[in-house]
Amino acid sequence: MAPKIVNVPKTDPRAYNPNRPAGTLLRSQALHMREALTKHAQELKALLDIDMASLKTEADVSAYVHRSTALLHRYAGKSAKK
Amino acid sequence: MSVGLQNLKHIVVLMMENRSFDHMLGSLMQKYPKINGLTGNESNPDTNGTIVKVQQKAEFQSQLDPDPDHHFPGVDLQIFGTTEQAAGRLPNMQGFVKDYFSQTKDVNRSHNIMYYFDSQKDLPVLSTLATEYAVFNGWFSSIPGPTICNRAFAHYGTSFGQVGMDIFYILDNTIASIYERMIQAKRTAKIYYYDQPSSTMEIVNLLKNQPQIFATFDQFISDCSANTLPDYSFVEPCYNDHPGADGGQILASDQHPDHNVREGERFIGDVYNAIRKNPSLWQSTALLVVYDEHGGIYDHVVPPACTPDGYTASADATGTGAPFAFDRLGIRVPAILISPWIPRGTVVPGTESAGNAQIFEHASIPGTVTNFFLNGDAKRTVREQQAKSFLGLLTDQMRADDDCVVFNNLQ
Repeated sequence: MAPKIVNVPKTDPRAYNPNRPAGTLLRSQALHMREALTKHAQELKALLDIDMASLKTEADVSAYVHRSTALLHRYAGKSAKK
Repeated sequence: MSVGLQNLKHIVVLMMENRSFDHMLGSLMQKYPKINGLTGNESNPDTNGTIVKVQQKAEFQSQLDPDPDHHFPGVDLQIFGTTEQAAGRLPNMQGFVKDYFSQTKDVNRSHNIMYYFDSQKDLPVLSTLATEYAVFNGWFSSIPGPTICNRAFAHYGTSFGQVGMDIFYILDNTIASIYERMIQAKRTAKIYYYDQPSSTMEIVNLLKNQPQIFATFDQFISDCSANTLPDYSFVEPCYNDHPGADGGQILASDQHPDHNVREGERFIGDVYNAIRKNPSLWQSTALLVVYDEHGGIYDHVVPPACTPDGYTASADATGTGAPFAFDRLGIRVPAILISPWIPRGTVVPGTESAGNAQIFEHASIPGTVTNFFLNGDAKRTVREQQAKSFLGLLTDQMRADDDCVVFNNLQ
């Protein structure tokens, strides 16, 4: 025997309203995002502030490349797969 | 340990937004007397002193605009029926209409907060799940307050003393999120947000462990069909209306007022179907559908006291003039546990069953996941340690495939 199937009606197309004023929750979400971005910006600025002439050894360059690669990978749009 | 638990490999939590138990499921009591819903005689006074009864007149959209108050002082009024912080005052659930008047400035419109759905007619997905699997009469939001602090309990088992929507800082970095606990223990866990324009409400973890923790809803669907679902998954609905990548229209599916409730129904059905249609996943997964808080909408059950989690929110933070010691739960929300190992029509008793009450709140989520996958091995708040686990509802008997419903979203 086949399982019982429950039909779910379609949502009224008039429900779509991207111009609806954003509520407290969504405005709070944007603020949280901004805070998260600030942390990234500080990390980026710290890397940009490093004087390239100060990278003398392979270890110096390795450390710089390591931090830069990690940061760039974060912005590379890789899908977060398991 | 039951056979159902022995077979369990995945726990999935879908957390919706801002609807109370009575608003969504209260009408079911007429047909299913064990469900602690509405008799139809529950009431609140309005600002003119007129008694306003609950009414089965809820609509999918437009009745709850402006957004009902669900911040700490508003919920305090809803629960106690007064803004006075007198010692010994008793909760009576009599302040909902008064509080909504503060938004609407319209006495008649303030009555909308007492409206509830004809669940079986209007909400075919939620009502079917509630009556086909296990519905909780006593699942409460963790804090009588808004979204962010309540969702924090689902992720951390505490809100670290927060009772509002402020930017959420971890004050005690020895309490890890459930995702970090799982990853550190070489288990798998993921938050699936709907898409990038909707993103996540769990912001703190954006700062670290991003690739391990986050994925989109499309990936959830793929992971369900490919048998690559993590041990623990937390699914977030779409939080806003926005254009789709192909130029179409993406509707908010979170059911937050004033988003369309039916779109949320379809989303819940999608999450369920993704698990249900893969036989091996279906047999090895427990899906919890739960709402983060009541959104300011009427519920008749008084929130019970609870174990404090060691924090105190100051009088300034609560906005009521009195501090809060996290010793009372928030307002009751819909919660349904789904698995083929759960008998049809299971009703988990709540506060209406004095000697048999089983009280749950959002700290039960990381508590259950930690107990099941990590043998309880993590530093946790006392609140989480004492939160009740919900997996005891899985039995030895698996229901036949044709005994478990499937949803069909009409196009």
